[in-house]
Amino acid sequence: MGKRKEVGDIKKEIKKVVSEIVEVPESELKEDADFQDLGVDSMMALEIVATIEKKFKIVIPEEEIPKATNLKKIYELVERLKKKK
Amino acid sequence: MQDIKIKKILPHRYPFIFIDKVEEVDLKNKKIICKKKFSISEYFFKGHFPQNPVAPGVLLIESMAQSAIILYASIYPEIAKLKPDYYLGKVSAKFLNPVKIGDVLKIEVKMIKSLKNAGIVEAECFVEDKKVCEGVLSFGVKVNSTSTT
Repeated sequence: MGKRKEVGDIKKEIKKVVSEIVEVPESELKEDADFQDLGVDSMMALEIVATIEKKFKIVIPEEEIPKATNLKKIYELVERLKKKK
Repeated sequence: MQDIKIKKILPHRYPFIFIDKVEEVDLKNKKIICKKKFSISEYFFKGHFPQNPVAPGVLLIESMAQSAIILYASIYPEIAKLKPDYYLGKVSAKFLNPVKIGDVLKIEVKMIKSLKNAGIVEAECFVEDKKVCEGVLSFGVKVNSTSTT
């Protein structure tokens, strides 16, 4: 139960970060919406990555960044990197 | 690193170079310290403001951005060699104290995260020991297809 809640909280926090940077309200931000369609450029992507790294104290390798093309993929990536810690 | 190298990296030229010298580049910690003297001959002091000359905040941001470019170029020399276009994406800055005629600005910039085509830095500027401004800048780097080494 505790772990589930933790995963839920992580998703909520990531969604908030992305919503603020992309300037799309959280309620309209779908998990599978492609970042390119949302107008995310390389600087916004980097801002998302840097904010998430700071928040979750992880390092996202450069080669992983182009693969994180939507919210769902970021959730998976962060969970995977947090487990590795 | 002397002025000649600054001009090798920065595409800017007079009157829009806002770094006089690079004092330190710390590649391990991805940090740079640059300096810029705001002398009486700076063209903008005449109008900003005639009765109370202070350096415009936007030019302090420019100093931080140009320092960030030199830091980026030190981290990615192979890309810098291609003379890419550098463009500022987003800035959040606070101005804490005025910069006046004769002040020497010390600009400290740390790369928070960088990719080959973009970077985010945190920057602080000081005059002597007094912090005059701070900011977070994100920028993009685009290599033109016509660029040569």
